[in-house]
Amino acid sequence: MDHGPVTSEYLRLGLHAPAIADLAQPGQFVMLTVARDADTAPVLPRPMAIFRWERRTGRIEIVYRVVGEGTHRLSQWSVGQVIVTVGPLGRGFVIPSGTRRIVLLGRGIGTCSLTALAAVAAAQGVDVRALLSARHADALVGGDACRASGAREVREVVDNDGSSDIGLVGAWLKERRALGVDQIYVCGSGRLLDLATATGVSVQVSLEAHMACGIGYCHGCASGHPGLGEESPLVCRDGPVFQLPAV
Amino acid sequence: MIAAPDLRVDLGDLPLRNPVMPASGCFGPELGDLIDINRLGAMVTKTVFAEPRSGNRAHRLAETYAGMLNSVGIPSRGARAFIAELLPRYRNWSPPLIVSIGGLTVGAYLEIAERLTRVAGIAAFEVNVSCPNLEAGGLEIGAEPQVVEAVVRGVKERVEVPVFVKLTPNVTSIAAIARAAETGGASAITAVNALMGMAVDWRTRRPRTGTAMAGFTGPAIKPVALRCVWQAAQAVAIPVIGVGGIATVDDVLEFILAGATAVQIGSATFTRPDTMVRIIAALEARLSDEGVVSVRELIGALRTDSPSATVPMQAG
Ligand SMILES: Cc1cc2nc3c(=O)[nH]c(=O)nc-3n(C[C@H](O)[C@H](O)[C@H](O)COP(=O)(O)O)c2cc1C
Ligand code: FES
Repeated sequence: MDHGPVTSEYLRLGLHAPAIADLAQPGQFVMLTVARDADTAPVLPRPMAIFRWERRTGRIEIVYRVVGEGTHRLSQWSVGQVIVTVGPLGRGFVIPSGTRRIVLLGRGIGTCSLTALAAVAAAQGVDVRALLSARHADALVGGDACRASGAREVREVVDNDGSSDIGLVGAWLKERRALGVDQIYVCGSGRLLDLATATGVSVQVSLEAHMACGIGYCHGCASGHPGLGEESPLVCRDGPVFQLPAV
Repeated sequence: MIAAPDLRVDLGDLPLRNPVMPASGCFGPELGDLIDINRLGAMVTKTVFAEPRSGNRAHRLAETYAGMLNSVGIPSRGARAFIAELLPRYRNWSPPLIVSIGGLTVGAYLEIAERLTRVAGIAAFEVNVSCPNLEAGGLEIGAEPQVVEAVVRGVKERVEVPVFVKLTPNVTSIAAIARAAETGGASAITAVNALMGMAVDWRTRRPRTGTAMAGFTGPAIKPVALRCVWQAAQAVAIPVIGVGGIATVDDVLEFILAGATAVQIGSATFTRPDTMVRIIAALEARLSDEGVVSVRELIGALRTDSPSATVPMQAG
């Protein structure tokens, strides 16, 4: 439907996928087949967060960064081609009833799964405070979308001017926490997750994993340990969003 | 009017309505949301172990050129959970269910066979011998003919349905292992499991998968798998199920000519969930175009007389 750069770091892929747009929830993802037409490779499809969607037009939007062969091939797709897309998949973010204020913490491309949450929460009258972090300004994504969807506060921080310093982010979070926060949502950074869990507020985190099937039968997205009886939950089916209990 | 071509094949005592089924570990009831499982020739489960095990650590997957690596390591919830929770989900569909079983010792294979015998709804077992043998320093169970024969004989004695044996390609002589399986009482040979492979990220100086070595699968391994099927089919009288790199109807026809009675599709289902059902439709159309009445005419019909290659060809 449309395909092109958003910043020097990221590309946007707009797809006509009414069945997915109809059902999508914040935090869910799709599996995109990278192999074109009758090609049988690349073999593995790519899991991609649904950046936003519109039920009325049936459009879904993916934002991605070219990191390897698969996403490089993806970047060469042109408008008009049919791309095999399976979704929406996984368990997304939950906004418990009675939620009044939430904080979103995202890093880099990880903010892509938070923007839709900001929109849905703001539409329900929830006070949304987002902090989006990245290496530099071109690696920031989703800030405008959060603002446009009615987030009360959107703070963008970057490494190259020091504003993303973990101490500063921690202080910012503490101030928001003092206002009363019902839920913190995290994606894209282990350090942001540590800050969130340290607040004692209940946290939902969206995890990433390498995936092959995306629907729960290949076990490629889990982890285990020889000698252990049970593997970790499947990121594709039990996640990608996991709820951490409030301390 | 021309009748539709006959896609039926027999795996020993197990008749299939068509020769296309999933490969173990690359299929599950979850696919029922995306494809019509009733179109498949058979269903095949992921390998089940007697006791629960968690598999390997992340990352378990890596993309390679025209293929993929997996170091999933066969997590299994064990026989009890399989019988109580997984098996009933397959009852929603009609194709025969082939249950893949595994173990880390000869005794462990016999144990899982014992626990699943007389369980309703299992049409055949596929013994996955591509598992490390803890009694032989981690060498694959399927690397030694005597061990394969003992495992197959023991499983065969304990169950009442056909027993297939899925061979590992990581051996010196696939023919010797295939013969051992046949001697042990196997009704069919599945060839092959993943090739041992590896990928390195030089920037991080780490392997790309959690375990350094991983199973290499997908279109890139097709020539090796095809050769293994050919060698196995020459070595035994029982049917051979071809697997490894199949992603198109042409691939299926190549395996059948090389001696496969049926085929399994693994990695290509990840690429596109509907690969198997598309291939079945294409197979029917292709045979019809070629005027082939029954797919059985093509099994092992590879011509090796001159002027094309003679057997066996040596590289170099
Ligand atoms: C993610 C993954 C999991 C697999 N799990 C099993 C398994 O549990 N048991 C087994 O016998 N083979 C397993 N295999 C091997 C496949 O059944 C098949 O032999 C192999 O992938 C080659 O076929 P392909 O090239 O069509 O994928 C697995 C393969 C993959 C890619
Ligand atoms: S990606 Fe296959 S089980 Fe999660």
